[in-house]
Parts: sequence; structure tokens; C-alpha cells
Amino acid sequence: MTKENATVFIVDDDAGVLKALTRLVSANGYRTQSFTSPREFLAHHDGELPGCAVFDVSMPELDGLALQEALSTPGTQRPVIFITGKGDVPTSVRAMKAGAVDFLTKPVSDKDLLSAIARAIEQDDEDRRNRADLASIETRLATLTPREREVLGHVVAGRLNKQIAGDLGTVEKTVKVHRGRMMEKMGVRTVADLVRIAEKAGVPRLPQR
Amino acid sequence: MSRLLSHTRIAALSLIAVPWFASPPAFAEQAESRILILNSYNYTFPAATAAATGARDRLQQRSPRKIEVDAEYLDMVRFPDPGHERLMADFLRDRYAQRQPNIVLVIGADSLPFVVKHRDSFAPGVPVVFLGVGKESLERIQRPPDVTGHRFDLELNLTETLALAERLQPNARKLFAIAGSGRLDRRWQAIARDVISRRERKFETTYLFDLTYDALAAEVARIPSDAIVLCLSVFRDANGQDFIPAEIANKLAALSPAPFYTPYIDQIGRGLLGGFSETFAAMGGAGADIALEILSGKDPATVPPRPNPRAWYQVDHRAMQRWKLNEANLPPDTVILNKPPSLWEEHRDLVLAALLAFALQTAFVVALLIQRRRRQRAERLLKESEERMTFTAASVNVGLWQLDRTTNALWATEHCRALLGLSKDVALSRDTILEAIHPEDREAAASAIRSIIKTGDATAQDLRFVRPDGEVRWMRVRVRSHSGDGDAPDQLNGIFVDITEQKAIEAEAAVQRQEVTHLMRVSVLGELSGAIAHEINQPLTAILSNAQTALYLLEKDSPDLVEVREALKDIVDEDNRAGEVIQRLRRLLKKGEKSFETIDMNTLVASTILLLNSEMIARRVSVKTELADSLPTIFGDPVQLQQILLNLLMNAMDAMAATPAAERVITILTRSAHIGTVEALVRDRGTGIRAEDQRRLFEPFYTTKDRGLGLGLTICSTILQAHGGRLSLTNDPAGGAVAVLTLPAQEMLIAAQ
Repeated sequence: MTKENATVFIVDDDAGVLKALTRLVSANGYRTQSFTSPREFLAHHDGELPGCAVFDVSMPELDGLALQEALSTPGTQRPVIFITGKGDVPTSVRAMKAGAVDFLTKPVSDKDLLSAIARAIEQDDEDRRNRADLASIETRLATLTPREREVLGHVVAGRLNKQIAGDLGTVEKTVKVHRGRMMEKMGVRTVADLVRIAEKAGVPRLPQR
Repeated sequence: MSRLLSHTRIAALSLIAVPWFASPPAFAEQAESRILILNSYNYTFPAATAAATGARDRLQQRSPRKIEVDAEYLDMVRFPDPGHERLMADFLRDRYAQRQPNIVLVIGADSLPFVVKHRDSFAPGVPVVFLGVGKESLERIQRPPDVTGHRFDLELNLTETLALAERLQPNARKLFAIAGSGRLDRRWQAIARDVISRRERKFETTYLFDLTYDALAAEVARIPSDAIVLCLSVFRDANGQDFIPAEIANKLAALSPAPFYTPYIDQIGRGLLGGFSETFAAMGGAGADIALEILSGKDPATVPPRPNPRAWYQVDHRAMQRWKLNEANLPPDTVILNKPPSLWEEHRDLVLAALLAFALQTAFVVALLIQRRRRQRAERLLKESEERMTFTAASVNVGLWQLDRTTNALWATEHCRALLGLSKDVALSRDTILEAIHPEDREAAASAIRSIIKTGDATAQDLRFVRPDGEVRWMRVRVRSHSGDGDAPDQLNGIFVDITEQKAIEAEAAVQRQEVTHLMRVSVLGELSGAIAHEINQPLTAILSNAQTALYLLEKDSPDLVEVREALKDIVDEDNRAGEVIQRLRRLLKKGEKSFETIDMNTLVASTILLLNSEMIARRVSVKTELADSLPTIFGDPVQLQQILLNLLMNAMDAMAATPAAERVITILTRSAHIGTVEALVRDRGTGIRAEDQRRLFEPFYTTKDRGLGLGLTICSTILQAHGGRLSLTNDPAGGAVAVLTLPAQEMLIAAQ
């Protein structure tokens, strides 16, 4: 993903600061969208656009942390960089725990800000890809029959066909058929691949007996 | 006079009655009583004369009517023969036939039978009053009922005389009784024998009776000195020689080694010791009393003969001395003759006068002493009082003074001298004090004095005084004029109070107040330090970003110079913005004198909000303003007024800490609600003011905050008062509190000046 494809959303109630930051970011080749009001930002924010957000922490109406929270709903996720006048520890801890990419103190240097933006965009790119993978896995999982889903659970748990057949009260041959269909539907050839995507999708593993 | 008046009144009532009533009293007053005294003795007998005189004096003293006295000495004692009797009777008849007495007064027993016998010839039917007649003599005559008088009790007198002798000579064993050979002498002989024999105490008695004078004198000279001698009477001796008993008694007494007693106390005084009897004058008085009773209309028949109840013991002091007798043995009430008068008795008047003078003098001296003591006490009290006052005045560093305006004389306490730093040798006077006043304050002092004299009101003036060493002291001078006659005040009373320290403290307090105000400002700014840093940080942030952008752009092969210019322009703007913040801060941090200038309240509010912008954002507090369009300007210190706004806004924010963030709104409203005033209201949506805090809001060090000094509102209030404004805090009916800051508009201030 290139800079040109990424958009940096900048929100700061201070017009002067906003203008300067926007100028800096866009001069470095990013697309920018800037807002002096958090509510305005939320009203215009397009989660589909790749990129990151730069929030001032202390703003009237909604502060930066509240904005970060507002971006946690599906479809609006986006890496956030905080810039603040007062680098107070509790606020930064809260922000970082909530997944902030960085917590920068004003006056912020271009290097710090731009590297943070770069990282954030990279992370956004990755997040987006992960979200896309997960979506395809989930789509594939959705095609499985309940029996195939059951078998998947046992396979991921590392059980042999014979054991699975015993558990499910069927014959090994039937298990093999289910297993073959399941592997095909999931688009994997090896058990290792299956385990990886199953973990990604958060499929619960059966407990070891 | 009253009688005449009453008669006149009666006369007015009845004319006929007048002659009848008016004459008898007039006649009675005019009438005189005629008394005929017939003396049994001749005038040579002192006793007889004394009795006659006593009677006459008593009659003239006591009688309501005029008394005319005729007196005849019948000398019956010496001439008891019938020829003399006849002669006397004829004489009296001839003499008093046309001159009838109202009473015949007979002195002595010897004439009484004659008078009884011959009364009808010279005073027929006239009552007879006798005196000095003994019991025996009375018994021997036929007494007609209208003959009465004084009975002379010889027995009683002798008994008492002997009793006196017994008292004075308790150890005497021998008793001598002397009596002559005359008729009365013989009577005494009988009485003496009788009385002596009836005495309880028994004596070896020698009766020297019926002796010749020479024999008697010889006997008397031989009487032992421890004997008692009763000298009764010697009218005639054995040779028939007549004597005056008083004379012979005293003669014999002079010869006697032993004390001589007599039953006739008239004889005492020339040698006789003493005795018991009445005097002849008293005897006369007693007869006269009876005569007066009869004259006043009493029937003589109803008046029996009676003795004189008044008789007494009498002694001669010189005789007492002579015979060495003790006065202590005398019966009470004994009359002592010839006693040398004591100093008191002799010079009684002089002593009295001296005593009186002494007493008066003493009283005067005592009075003077008391007065002196009182005066001393008063003086002491006054002195003490003055000392107390002076001490008290000096203790509280007050000097007292008083100026007499007519003489310019000055009275002042010593402390005045100390206050003015004057040495002992400098006299305190009006001029010294006037000269001590600081040259710059002299005019003020003079005008104050003029005002007091004019209005008479007490005033206080703070004046500087220069001490001789150049030190300047502040004195509060209180002066009151004291009017002598209620017209022109002629006295000025005043006090000096050294208030130099007070002035210094006041100045220091002003400095400290300023200091505290400043410190509070600094403290508010300290609280806001984060926000303020943010305020500066914002432009710095913008500047840095713009600068770095510009640099980045310029590194490009074809730099976008338009953009670079924009960035640089913004840098300048942002720098200015930062500069403004610092300017505001510097103003608030600046320490120093108030500087008043014209202020627009709206501008002040706006700049304050700017200062608090970051803080408000940080605290999630929003501010709404409703600023009046055309607000009068105010005149004041912008820094101090901004301090108030800062304080109120901070309080508002603090009050809303527990308010949900969405509701944390501060409304600032400016208005000119009343002509000549400018108001700024700061309304919050906080917890409001608790009732118990309302009263104490402006109390220093009273705070409702966890970390507050409690000085904020106190200082706000002080600042506003200095601006002629005020601050009120109330609860908003819609919730929260409203602070109303009221200041006079500048035009009002100008108009006022």
C-alpha cells in the first residue's frame, strides 16, 4: 500500500495546530482529512478508507480517547496516534491499552509524527488484510455442515480418524469422507494449515482427552 | 388684755351686765395684804431677824397681791414681866386700831401667849400665824382655831444633831451638853436629857447647865478632845446675864478641845462644828407659806401647826479641820460651810470659760485636723487618681494635655515629652509642641484646631511629629474643646497616641494584602499551569509543524513556495499567539501597585476565557457567553479584575466536578442592569452553595474545597471593594450557583468626582 492510497484523519480543536499538522502530513504525501470538531469527524469518517487517525487528546465535547472508543466498532477501525499538550501518564496508558499506535507530546517533531503515521498505516494495512482473511475463513466455515464442523473441531484438536469415529459413534470411513470434504471446503491441504486458519477464526479446540 | 377683750365682748352683748362684772377683779388687784410681824426678840437676835426677813421675802415673792409688812419687836424674851406686856398691848392697840392687818405673824414662842391674850385689842378676828414655836410651848397655851403656824421641832433637831455627832465621832464616849438658864434654855435642858437618855448609844454625859459664863468657859476648856459637845442655847447664865446664843456658842467652841455641835445651824460658821436644823430664814419661809394659804382664803382652823419639812445637816469645814474629823463620815447631802473652794468652785466661770475655750479650740483643731485629713485624703486620692490616669495613659502610650487658650498655658503629662522625644530640660509648652509637628502637617493641624474651635466637636487627626533626633513619629491627636462659659471655648483638651507602629503595620498590611492578592493570582496560575503550558504549547506545536513542513518543502526539487509562504505566515501568527499568552501571564504574574485604566468588561471576559480555554477543555467544561452589546466601560485594575473572573470561573469548574460532562456548562453574562453599573454573571451547573456555607463564603481561610486556602473569595471581595464594587453569590433556581460581580460604570465614577 502506498502513501497516496492512505488517508490521515487529523482532529484538533486548535485551528492553528490542525492546519500546521495537516500541512505537514500532506506535504509528506499523504491524503489528509482534517476536523476541528470530533463530532464533525465522526460524521464524515469513512472507515473503508485505509489510513490512520491523529487525534488531539484534549478537545471540547469529545476528547481523543472518546474518539478512539468511537472508532472501535466494526467498520470504523483505524489505528490512532495521539498527540497531547500534557503527556500525563494515566491518559497515555489508557490510550495505549486501547490500542493506540503512539502517544506523542506537543510540540511534535515531524520525524516522530511521520514515523508513527507510517507505522499506523502499515498496521492499518495489516489489520485490513487480517480482517479480509478472517472474513474469507468465516465465509468458508459457514459452508460446512454441522458434522463437518464437528470433525473440524476434532481434527484441530489433533485426534486420529479412528478416535474421532469412536467419539462421534460412527465408523472411521465416514469420518474420512467428512474430513476430506471439510478440508476441501476450507481450502487447505494440510492439518497445519487448518489449525492456523481455525485459530485465526477463533474456532474452539476440543479439549484433549 | 384677754380679760378686757372678753369683757368688751360681753359688754357688746349686754349693757346692763357691765358694771357688775367689771368692778370686783379690778378691786381685788388693787387690794393689798397687810401683815403684822410680831417678834418675840429684839432686833439684835440674828435668828429673829433672819426669820423675819425669810418670812417677808417669801411673802413678797409668793403673794399674788401686794404685801405691806409692819413689824414690831416685842422683846418678850428679855422682858417677860406683866408691865411690859401691858405696855406692848396698849402700844399695839393704839397703833393698829386703824390699821388692821390681814395676818398677824408671830416669831418665837414667847410672844404667842401674849398675842392670843391681847389679839382682840389690836387685831380682832385676825388669823394668827406663828413660827419657831416648840411643841411644849404650844401645849402650854390655849390655842384658838384661827391661831396656827410653824412648829419648831427641837427634839428632832437635837436627835439628828446627836446622830451627826455620833457619825463623825464613832469612838466618842463622853458627851457634854451645854444650856443656859433662860426660859428656852431650860426647855432645851429637858429636851436634852430626854433625847440623850433615849439614844441607843450610851455616853458618859456631863450636863453643863445653869452655870455662870465663867464657870461654863472653864468647864468647856477642860472637855477632853475625844468628847462630843452639844451646845443647845445660852440665852442667860446663872448670874442672870443675857447672851445672844449664837455668839456665846461660837466663843465657847473656840475654847473647846472637843467638837461643838448645835441644833441651830444658823450659828455654824464661826467656830461651831455642825448640827441639824432648818435655818431661821427657812423657818420664816415656812410660816409665810402658812400665812399665804390663809390669805388665799383657806380657813386657818383647817391648817394645823406643822413643822418645816425642810431641814438639813450642816458642818463647818474649818471646824472639821480643827477637830480632825473625817468628811467621809458625814451623812449624805450635808452642807459644808467654809470649805475652801476648789479651783473649779472658785473660778468656776473662768474655768468654764477656759474649758469652753479649750473645748472650742479643741473642736476647732479637731475640725481642722479632720478637714486637713479629708483634704489630704482628697489630695491623695486626687494624686492617686492622677497618677493612675497618667500611668494608664503612659501604659497605653497616650500623652494627655490641656491648653488654656486665653493664657496659652499648657499642662501635659510627662509622657507627652517622651512621645515627642523631648529631653528633660526642654519645657513643655504650646510652642514646643507646635514646633514638633512635621512641617507638612502643620497646615492640617491648624485647620483641625480651627474646626474644633468653630464647631466645638471633638476631632482626631493623624499628624507626623519630628523628634529632635530627626525621627518621624505618627501621632493620633484627639482634641476636644472645653468651654468655660458655654460661649467661646477657652480650653483645649487633647491626647497624643503614638500610632507609628500602627501606621507601619497598616502599611505592612497593605503590602501584605497586595502580596497575598498576588500570591493568590500566582496560585491560581499555578493551578492552571498545565492549561497555560498547553496554551503556549499549541502555537509552538503549530510553529514547529509549519517550520518543518516549510523545510521539507524547500528540500524538494520544485518547492511549492506558495505553501512555504503560507506555512511561514502561520508561523508568524502562531508566534504572536504564543506571545499574547505570555503577555497575559506576565500581567497576571506581575507584582506591584494597582494601575487603574479604562476597561471593557466584555474584553476582559473574553481574554479570561482564553486563558482558561485549555483548562476548561481538560475539565470537559464548556463555556457559553452572553455578552451585552453596548456595555459602559469600567475603571479599574484589569489584572485584579481578571483575577476575580479567573477565581469565579475556577470555582465554577470546581463546583461542576461531579456534574455529568455534558452538563458542565459555565455561562458568562455581562449586562448593565442598573444605570451606572456593569455586571458580570458567572453561572455554573454545579452543586450550588450549601446553606451553612452561604454566610461564611467571604470569611478568610474558609473553604469548601479539599485543597483550597479559603482566600479566593475574600480577596475577590477586597479587590471589588477597592473598586467600589461588590460580589454576591447565590444559588440559581435552575441549579448551580450564580456569582454576580457588580462594578460602577466609569461615567459614574467621573460624575462622582
